[in-house]
Amino acid sequence: MEDFYEVKVQEIKQLTPTIKSFTFISENTELPSFGAGSHITLHLPMGMRQYSLINNPLDMINEYEIAVKKTGHLESGSTYLHEDIYEGDVVKVSPPDNYFPLQMEGKHHVFFAAGIGITPFWSMMSYLRSLGESFELHYAVSGQDACPFYNEMNERYANQVTYYLMDRDSKTKKLKERLRELKVGTHVYICGPQSYMDFIVTYCRELGYPKKYIHEERFKARKLEHPTRFKVTIVNEKKTIQVNSNQSLLEALHDAGITIPSACRQGICGSCEVKVCNGEVLHNDTFLTANEKTDKMLTCVSRGKGHISIAVE
Amino acid sequence: MSVKAEQFPFPFTEDRYAYSNNSSLQKPARSVTMTDRYLEEIQLKRELLQANHQRCFRSLPLSLESQWEAMRRIFNELAENEPEHFSFEKRGNEYRFQNLLLGEEERFKYRDLSSIERQPLDIAGRHVQEDLIIMGDRHDGLFLEAGQLCFPSNWSLTFVLGMDFKSIHTPVPGITHKDFIGKVERFISRIRQNEAWERKNWSMTISNKLDTPLETYANWGKLRLQVTDENVGELVHLRVEVQRLLRLPLTNDILFTIHTYLLSLNDLIRNDLWLKRLYTTIQFLSDDIAEYKGIALYKNELMQFLEKTLSEKGISL
Ligand code: HEM
Ligand code: FES
Repeated sequence: MEDFYEVKVQEIKQLTPTIKSFTFISENTELPSFGAGSHITLHLPMGMRQYSLINNPLDMINEYEIAVKKTGHLESGSTYLHEDIYEGDVVKVSPPDNYFPLQMEGKHHVFFAAGIGITPFWSMMSYLRSLGESFELHYAVSGQDACPFYNEMNERYANQVTYYLMDRDSKTKKLKERLRELKVGTHVYICGPQSYMDFIVTYCRELGYPKKYIHEERFKARKLEHPTRFKVTIVNEKKTIQVNSNQSLLEALHDAGITIPSACRQGICGSCEVKVCNGEVLHNDTFLTANEKTDKMLTCVSRGKGHISIAVE
Repeated sequence: MSVKAEQFPFPFTEDRYAYSNNSSLQKPARSVTMTDRYLEEIQLKRELLQANHQRCFRSLPLSLESQWEAMRRIFNELAENEPEHFSFEKRGNEYRFQNLLLGEEERFKYRDLSSIERQPLDIAGRHVQEDLIIMGDRHDGLFLEAGQLCFPSNWSLTFVLGMDFKSIHTPVPGITHKDFIGKVERFISRIRQNEAWERKNWSMTISNKLDTPLETYANWGKLRLQVTDENVGELVHLRVEVQRLLRLPLTNDILFTIHTYLLSLNDLIRNDLWLKRLYTTIQFLSDDIAEYKGIALYKNELMQFLEKTLSEKGISL
């Protein structure tokens, strides 16, 4: 697997007045396969942008497909894709990652989508259909013409999809009704605007639905795009060092003669943990829990802001 | 079955040994490798599978999708990396894998059970030297859901089938210290799709026997009592497992492969650095780990042998 691939825009389709789909292919390399729920990261002039893949992973030959809603922001990635990208153009993408996998032990899968949040489910539904697994979709969307794949959805998933085209209060009432009826062994997946996700998660919590059966798509940055330098005081060594923008805290500590264990150097194994005594930390790992982040950091990827102090073992 | 010293993955990078997450990211991501023991080891595997199928292959129904994915992945890797020995072709949903070394062919329709006579992992494992394990990544942890295991180092597939990652590791002394094994599990759950990580595990085996399952302990365990000052160099083998963890993208499960290598001490001590490192490692090995690895029974003979060899070679530590 490479760090990124140059892919060609093979096809662009206008799905709704504000949503376009893009199909990327590679003519000379085999693109890595992916699981339902994955996203790719596009390298755009305004930075890295993540989009869920919408194709069925089992049918993938050598293409990635995404659907993007134009947000109206002049500087946004979506405006750029909508206005400046044409069929035949070449774009850089990082290989797919999956923060939103299907839990295949589930007896039944319930998807809650709002607006463009439908995209990961489009891939998941076709995958589950291929496997003959049971699922349903609850889709809140402002109207029929705002709904991407409207005809296909009705043809393929007539018995699985419920639309929520009504006003806010009726919508809330109907969602709550469905959530109250969740049965043991059902996994719940949510993707949409923050307020929509929060509403469902909060209500599930009120119902006492087990947390590990609720899955939310939340994109997070994998890498700080512009690391800056900062100062660190190592309290129990009585030393203060500088970490330059081109080095990690782990490396800077090593250069200062303070060796701490490390393995992955990617923020996923937890080996290089230190205690944080003071200061603001930019956490950049996917290992520590929110609670652990209050007084710990992983030195291979996370950085301080200004001046921080830590303790090493 | 010992391997040539040049192909032996010597495990010690330092002079002391403690459990640590010694995994490293592999580029390119590989789950299987071939050595020049290929034919002998495949033959032994086939014999073991024939004689004790229940002991060497187990699976839960939930693992089938991952088994398919693992088989396709492994055949693909073999054909890509050893094109002179293997080929793998796809036409629509139909696949053909050819093993030229064995003069065999496997044909199947992907995900169509009626097109194969054994479960996919049980087919794939017959073409590689590695033992193959599927760890299902579930909402409540990692579980051992399928395995083809011919060369275990004193454990039982039957015993661990369906077990969670932490429970599998309970026999290992000190493994929960500072939540070590909990952190390893968290690490595995963070492995990105298509990525492979590699680590080495080590132990010692008396004789060059690869198949040392818990089920036959009565036959091979007693050999540990037969080690003497005279035969230690010949009998005692350093056993190294090169383990790989690959995230299967489609199913999001983990393919865990174990390639076991054995090298007799007589062969090992030809390399001065290896000799030195092994000596210091054994010297500082904690009693509970020496006990767990079965070394305690012949540790004195082993240490004397290494010390004698060091002084004969004039190596100072
Ligand atoms: C995910 C796949 C894995 C499986 C199926 C697995 C399974 C096992 C089993 C069956 C044993 C022997 C337990 C016994 O004596 O009954 C063992 C030992 C051990 N495992 Fe794992 N393991 C896995 C991954 C790992 C990883 C990633 C690490 C560390 C980073 C690890 C660390 C250890 C250690 C330190 C031992 C003791 C070995 C010795 O001292 O000889 N395991 N494992
Ligand atoms: S080295 Fe793995 S988290 Fe830092």
